[in-house]
Amino acid sequence: MSAADTLPLQRFTVVEVNDRDVPQCLRLATSLAGKIAADLGADVLKVEPPGGDPVRKAPPFLPQGGSALFQFLNTSKRSLVLDLASDAGHAALGKLLDTADAVLFEEPACVAPQMRASRATPIEIAALPAGMQAGAHPVSEFTILAMSGLLHMIGEPERKPLRIGGHQASYAAGLTAFTGLAAALAARDAGRNAPAVRVSLTEVMQWVNWKAASGADASGVSPGREGKRSEFQVVPCRDGHVAVVHTATQWPAMRALVGDPRLDHVKYATRAGRRQNVAELYEILTPWLADKTRREIQALAQAKGVPFGPIFSPAELLAAEQYLARGFFTDIAHPTLGTLRLPQLPVQWNGRSFAPRPAPGLST
Amino acid sequence: MSARPLHGVRVLDFGLLTAGANTSAMLADLGADVLKIESGAYLDPFRVVGKPDNDDGWWNRSPQFRFTNRNKRGLALNLKDPQGQRVIRELAARCDVVIENFRRGVLDRAGVGYKDLSAINPKLVFAAISSQGDTGPERMNVSFGSTLDATSGIAALTGYEGEEPRISGMDVNYPDQIVSLFAAGIVIIAIMVARRTRRGCFLDFSQREVASFTLGEEILAAACNPGRSSVRGGNAIEGIAQQDTYRCSDGRWIAVTSEIALPDLARFCAALTSTEAAAELLTRGIAAASCNDGGDLLRDVALAGVTLTRDEKGRLVKGLPYRLDGKGIVIECAAPDLGQHTEEVLRDLLGYDEAKLEELAKAGVTSTTPSTGDV
Repeated sequence: MSAADTLPLQRFTVVEVNDRDVPQCLRLATSLAGKIAADLGADVLKVEPPGGDPVRKAPPFLPQGGSALFQFLNTSKRSLVLDLASDAGHAALGKLLDTADAVLFEEPACVAPQMRASRATPIEIAALPAGMQAGAHPVSEFTILAMSGLLHMIGEPERKPLRIGGHQASYAAGLTAFTGLAAALAARDAGRNAPAVRVSLTEVMQWVNWKAASGADASGVSPGREGKRSEFQVVPCRDGHVAVVHTATQWPAMRALVGDPRLDHVKYATRAGRRQNVAELYEILTPWLADKTRREIQALAQAKGVPFGPIFSPAELLAAEQYLARGFFTDIAHPTLGTLRLPQLPVQWNGRSFAPRPAPGLST
Repeated sequence: MSARPLHGVRVLDFGLLTAGANTSAMLADLGADVLKIESGAYLDPFRVVGKPDNDDGWWNRSPQFRFTNRNKRGLALNLKDPQGQRVIRELAARCDVVIENFRRGVLDRAGVGYKDLSAINPKLVFAAISSQGDTGPERMNVSFGSTLDATSGIAALTGYEGEEPRISGMDVNYPDQIVSLFAAGIVIIAIMVARRTRRGCFLDFSQREVASFTLGEEILAAACNPGRSSVRGGNAIEGIAQQDTYRCSDGRWIAVTSEIALPDLARFCAALTSTEAAAELLTRGIAAASCNDGGDLLRDVALAGVTLTRDEKGRLVKGLPYRLDGKGIVIECAAPDLGQHTEEVLRDLLGYDEAKLEELAKAGVTSTTPSTGDV
C-alpha cells in the first residue's frame, strides 16, 4: 500500500468523552481505544473537561515537559474542551453525537444517559461488571488486578502478591473496547443494528486470567504464584536476566542445548518429574546461563528451537534489531515537544504501518 | 432478532493455543461461522497440555481446549497430504478470513499460505499472528507466552523492590491473552474494507509488538531520556502516595491504593480480616480489594459478570470480555471433538459425496483420532 491509500477507518467519526471525576484507570482505557481508531484513520474528537484530561499531568513525564502517557494515548486525535455540567456543553455534545458513528465514554459520567440514547453507538468503559454498585467503590488499576485474581498469580508463594508492569488492566480494557468499537462500526457499515458495548476492567482482567478459573474448576485448587517452584524461572546471566521457558516437547532440545549429563537422569524425563525436582534442575541450569550474555543464550536456544526469553527493558527495546528492521518505532514531530519516538500499532496491513500524528494541545 | 455483526462471515481457523484460537473465538462470538482446522498428526497443543488422563478419547477432554474453542466447528485434515491441501484450498475459496499462528513458513510449505490462497480468493483477509512478525531477522524465532513477557519489556517492569524481573508464568502467559483482544478488532475492520473494496489483505501481527505496545509511554519516555532506568518498584507506582498488598488476620492479602500516605496500614490490616479491612478502607474512600484466587472467581458470580459461561453439556467455558447490548453469550456449540464436523462441512460446503469422504478417511487425510501423543 502506498501512503496515498486511504486509511481503513477514514469514513468514521468517533467522539471520546473524558468527563471530570472519573478514575484515571478508566480514562486510560477509553483513550487507548480512541487512539487505535484514530491511528487507523477515524476522525476521533476527544472531549476534555475544563482544565483538560488529567492524564495530561500524569507520569511518566518527558524531560522537555509534558506527559509521555498522554502523548502516547492521544495520537492522531482532535480535542475540544466542553463543560458537560453546563447547558451549553451539554447541547454542544448532543450536536456532536448526532453525526458521530460511535461514542466512547466512561461510567460514571454525568452525561451517560444522553450518550446511551444518542444515534452514535455507545462504547462504555467501567470499572466493575454491570449491576455492581460502581459509584460506591473507589477503585484503582491495582485493586482491579486484585479482584480479577491476577495479583494472586505473580510473585513468591510465601511473599506478597505482585502487580504486572505497565497499565495492563487499563490497556487490556482499551484493546477490548477497540474491538467492540470495530464490531459496532462493521455492523453499522453493513446496515445492521450495532450492539451497545460495555467493557469493565474487572471483567476484562478475569477473562485474561481465565486459566485461574479453569484450573480451579478442573481440580478444585486454584493455580497461584509459584515463584521458585515454577518450571519457568528468571535466571541471571552475564549481562542481565533470561526467562527459562520451554514446552514438554522442547525438553529434549533444551537438554541438548545445556549439554549437562545430569539432565539425562530419569527424574527429569517427565514434566511431573521436572516439577518435583525443580530446585535441583535449576542448580544445573543456573551456571550454564551465568557466563553467557543474553544474545548468546538467545542465539544458542533459538538454534535448537528452545524459547528462552532474554529480558529487555523498554530503553533496550529501542535498539532491538527486530523492531528496527520492522520499523516498529516511528518519530513524530510534535509542535512544542520536538521529536517523539513511539511504537506504532502492532500490525502491518499489506506491509503498511500506521504512523500516528501528534496528540492535540489543549484548546483555550 | 437482527443479524449479529459478523453474521455471514466464514473463518478458516488454524489458530492454536490462545493467541490464534482465541482471535477466531472472538469472531465466532460476534456471529462468524468458524471452521477450526487441526489434523490427527498435529492437534491444538491445548488438547494435550490440558489432558486430564491418558484413557481413550483423552484428546477431547482438555478444559483449556474447551474454554477457548467453543462456538466453533472442528475439522481434521492432514496438511502434509496433497489431498488435504487441496481440500483446504477449496475451503479457502468459500471463506472470508484465515487466522493462523503457526511458525512462519509452515502454511507456505503446505501450499496454503497467503500467496496461494489469495490467488484463489482475492477477497480473503489473512491474519498471521506470529511471535515476531512475518519479516525481520528474528521472524523464525519461537516463543511461548512467557518468552514474550521477557522480550517485550513487561518483565523488566515486574518484580519485588530492587529484585530480579518476573514473568507472568505458564498459568497466565499474559502476552498471549491480550493479542486476540487487539487482533480481533483489526480483522473485523479488514473484513469491512474487503466487503467494500472486494480486495482482501495480509495482516501481519507480531505478538511481541502487541506486548511492547502496552508499554508505549515507557518506550517514549526512554527515547526522550536515555538515562531513564527501569526500576522494579514492587507494587508502588509513580504519582501515587502508597500502593501495596497487605496481609490480614485471616492470612489473605488485600491490595490498597491510597492518594495519601498511610504509615500504619500494615498494622491496621494485620489486626482485621481481609473482608473487614477492605470494607473499612472503602468507607474511608480508599481503594481496597481482596486478592482473589481462581476459586473466588468461580464463587463470585456478580464479579465474574459475562466472563464465564457454560456450554450445552453444562461445562464451564470462557465467556466474553465485554457485554454486547447488555448481554453475554449463549454457547451454541461446545468445543468440537477432533474432526467432529469434517464430514458435515465437506458435504454441505463442498458437496463431497460419501464415496469421496470414505476415500479421504481411508487415506488418512481426515481422522478423528490423533497419531501423536505429546506436544
